[in-house]
Amino acid sequence: MDLLFLFEWIDTSMLAEISKAYGGVFAVVQTFHLGAMVLLGGMILVGDLRLLNITMSDIPAPVVLKNTERWVGYALVAIVLSGIFMMSAVAIKLYYNVFFLSKMVGLFMGVCFFYLIRKPLLNGDHSELNPWSIKIIAVTSILIWFSVAASGRWIGFS
Amino acid sequence: MLNQLLFDLALWLDAQQWSTDLHESYYVYNWVESTHVLTLIIFLGMLVVIDLRMLGYIFKDVPVSKVAERLDKPMMFGFAVMVVTGFLLYYAIPVRTTTSIWFRIKVVLLIAAGINALLLRNITKQENLSWDNDPVPPRRVRISGGLSIAFWAGVIMTGRMIAYDWWDCHKAMPGFMYWAAGCVNELAELD
Repeated sequence: MDLLFLFEWIDTSMLAEISKAYGGVFAVVQTFHLGAMVLLGGMILVGDLRLLNITMSDIPAPVVLKNTERWVGYALVAIVLSGIFMMSAVAIKLYYNVFFLSKMVGLFMGVCFFYLIRKPLLNGDHSELNPWSIKIIAVTSILIWFSVAASGRWIGFS
Repeated sequence: MLNQLLFDLALWLDAQQWSTDLHESYYVYNWVESTHVLTLIIFLGMLVVIDLRMLGYIFKDVPVSKVAERLDKPMMFGFAVMVVTGFLLYYAIPVRTTTSIWFRIKVVLLIAAGINALLLRNITKQENLSWDNDPVPPRRVRISGGLSIAFWAGVIMTGRMIAYDWWDCHKAMPGFMYWAAGCVNELAELD
């Protein structure tokens, strides 16, 4: 399905008028985006590093995951809202940008992986799970979110 | 005096071939910058967890010292790589960075964040962590945690703003701004 119409609609929206006209507002929103990324990255990493027994190994993994999961949700909301605003400034350009597409696919995969696999699977008793499955979940999670952050950074270079 | 010294240092770095090569290499420069941002996520991501614990928002059942100690290694790893890549980014574009008002504010905020961390370290030593198990630590600890988040948010913001040329030396600005940004040539012209 061609989504060009969606990008064209965003490009002519009121949001785009603001993001294109006020460079200062855009820069501040960009900062929020980066801050939310830090929050998301921190919470995901702490959880995944615990699952890999690299850090916090004397704190039960379910306790670490329970504490960090709520903040992942907050960060994702902030990332998506600030991201839509930033996208509106260069919507048509982003439609043709391969790194943007890569980031969006990664983000979609990351959200699905987090809410449909990582969270439901690891909210139960970990002793019932194969330890390797837990490690594979953690590594997959890190790789997905790394790809989102890296491709997001490369949007600016392309 | 200090402005001239920093400007001369920047000119000396800028004259080196490696600085030019790094700046002009599409892949190396962009990967250094990407690594800087990605390790910033590791360092600040860990730090924000510790700060939120000090504010009493997260890991309320886990002692503050335990959270801080366990996250110290990945945090310092991120910090080390971030510092190295940060120096490389400065080395690649020394003159413009030295005369960027945003870069200067960023350095001030980095120093402020460092002082705040040292002060907190002193508080914890003096009080022997009597509040370590409290779900919500005392007010002074929460203030320190809040300040840490605020300073680092400022570092992110000013770091991001360096890319914008709103107050670069070639723009018309009040004399104070030329001084604050270290635009020595423009200041000399004003005199």
